[in-house]
Amino acid sequence: MDFSLGLFAEQFARTFTYWYVIVPSILLGLIVGAIPGFSAANTIIILLPLTLALDPETGMVFMVALYASSRLGAGIPAILVNIPGTAGAAATPLDGYPMTKQGRGQQALTISFVCSTLGGLLTTIIALLAMPWLSVVAYKLHSVEMIVVMIFGISLIASIAARDTLKGLIAGFFGLMIGFIGADVVYETPRGTFGFLELYDRVPLIPALVGLFAISEAFIVIEGESILTKQGLEAMKKATAGWKETFEGVHLALSRWWHIVWTSIIGLVVGIIPGAGAAIAAFVAYQQSRIFSKTPEKYGTGHIEGLIAPESANNGVTSGTLIPLLVIGVPGGATAAIMAVVLQYHGVTVGPDLFLTQPNLAYGPFTTMAVTYGMMLLIILPMARYMSRITIVPTTFMAPIVISFTLVGSFVPREYIFDMYLALVFGVIGYVARKTGYHVAAILIGVILGPLLEQYFQRALRIAEGDLMVIFSSTLGNILWVFMVMSLAFPYVMAWWRRRQKESPG
Amino acid sequence: MDEQAGREKREPRGIAGELIIPVAALALTVYYFITIIDVPWTAQVSAFFVGTILILLLLIFFIRTALSLGRGEVSLRIGEIVEPVLFVPRRIVLIVLTIGYVLFIQWAGFTITTFAFLLLAMLLLNEGRNKRLIFILSAVFAIGGWLLFIVAFETRFPAGPFEQLMKGLF
Repeated sequence: MDFSLGLFAEQFARTFTYWYVIVPSILLGLIVGAIPGFSAANTIIILLPLTLALDPETGMVFMVALYASSRLGAGIPAILVNIPGTAGAAATPLDGYPMTKQGRGQQALTISFVCSTLGGLLTTIIALLAMPWLSVVAYKLHSVEMIVVMIFGISLIASIAARDTLKGLIAGFFGLMIGFIGADVVYETPRGTFGFLELYDRVPLIPALVGLFAISEAFIVIEGESILTKQGLEAMKKATAGWKETFEGVHLALSRWWHIVWTSIIGLVVGIIPGAGAAIAAFVAYQQSRIFSKTPEKYGTGHIEGLIAPESANNGVTSGTLIPLLVIGVPGGATAAIMAVVLQYHGVTVGPDLFLTQPNLAYGPFTTMAVTYGMMLLIILPMARYMSRITIVPTTFMAPIVISFTLVGSFVPREYIFDMYLALVFGVIGYVARKTGYHVAAILIGVILGPLLEQYFQRALRIAEGDLMVIFSSTLGNILWVFMVMSLAFPYVMAWWRRRQKESPG
Repeated sequence: MDEQAGREKREPRGIAGELIIPVAALALTVYYFITIIDVPWTAQVSAFFVGTILILLLLIFFIRTALSLGRGEVSLRIGEIVEPVLFVPRRIVLIVLTIGYVLFIQWAGFTITTFAFLLLAMLLLNEGRNKRLIFILSAVFAIGGWLLFIVAFETRFPAGPFEQLMKGLF
């Protein structure tokens, strides 16, 4: 897997010649990313006849550009209307949406675009340089470590998302139980399916996403004239769609460059872990950002660092997920899995040999990603000032549009009307959760992680012949357990420490 | 006046709504456990592990709530779920329309159902104002959605008479 500077330069030059594929893919990716239910994976599947007709290199450029841009696109509705385009953007509204409500939507979008593109660009370059070493991380994580990573993820979300950690934990574990619904992988025994055949294949994620975020939000926003607060609405009405807010956003993001760097690296590392994905990366980055912040109490109120962390991290994931695919042949996520299928269709075997036999295909995805992120910044920044105007659309018009289009979006992946009803059920759960202080993101992450947790649990227990103590059998796993306990205890310890400091005389 | 404000201030927070998610979580866990009693252990173990932790968390939550109730800090009023009460009728009608949307879309197809839903829901939320604008918006979004998703992206949305007719014509 040796590479030289010359090979890099040649690869970048070669990638630029595909601009005619990259630019339309960026525009398409931004649109599909912004529509819940139309992820990059779905779009590549829908456009499979086109992808398969292209030669493998052009097809790969198309898929990678679409993947990277859809990741960025998913943050747009998350910031503007509190509806993440994909699960990976589930942590973005925590601070992005409050910024919008304060009338700082344009600024929030610009910050998101800058840190997404810079985070994505930086991690792509790191991935390109450090690919052989980064892949080792994936080798080190076996079933036991993955169990800890997932429970760690849930506990992080619990302490991030909810002001009340107990409620956050209940929401996360409730989500996990929902995620367990479905037939057992080994014996195909239906469990907790309420007699519905449609649930044998587990709870589909898109209806859960649509219900918990879009439907529940739509039923709440109708309480106001607009999604903005009164002051926010006034500010937005007075503001002209100028460049000032965009430049301010760029400045605010760049002045926190170090934050972009380390949170995007979290995304890269999490992305390498197969199955972990952008959602976990975004929440882990958000939590770490809050833990190390001097003003943790501002998180969740429209804090800039709270927006930078998830957006940098979920774009850092994009290059991370390609590493196990290209280095060991294990896709890191759904989109990477589809890419593997397309490459296999063309007779390309992914794995270490690819770097020797077809370096253009092996390094190409990373150079394409870097070029895509570069081009994307130039394309999307001017759009921020117009996009933010959507927030002044009265909720009386917006809510029905959101309900109808997202509901029908939940129909698309499996083409079951049942999934639309399921989205409604999740909408009710989401509504109750929002109104009573249980964070919907914690429930969603539980639903996402449930099947994965079960899979790793079964594998670990089978190897250990049923000994439950196997979850404490790995050194790396035990270190992660300690980190988890520390992570849960840290906010309480800090609060106690601050209280003590205040109380102490002098 | 001040006395009344003081009374309102002292009124304990209604927490009945906060109990819905824990009760639903408990019901799901118990139901799930019942469905896995006779299945092989590999299909049980992760649910028992996570379910037990969840039940412990719920137990802590219920004890905490009971203690708060005992201290008079909270009451079993429904509270925030239905607030602001002014919007309850509007919300109920919107829920009925949404259920109707899902119910009819399989027969009438995406375009017609979306048009009807948008028209009715927007008229309801705007209390009958801006009829012309609402009609135009509903038509634009329904037909625009059909053009973008069904015609351009060839997405398989629920098809009805309109989609069939257009497919036959073009």
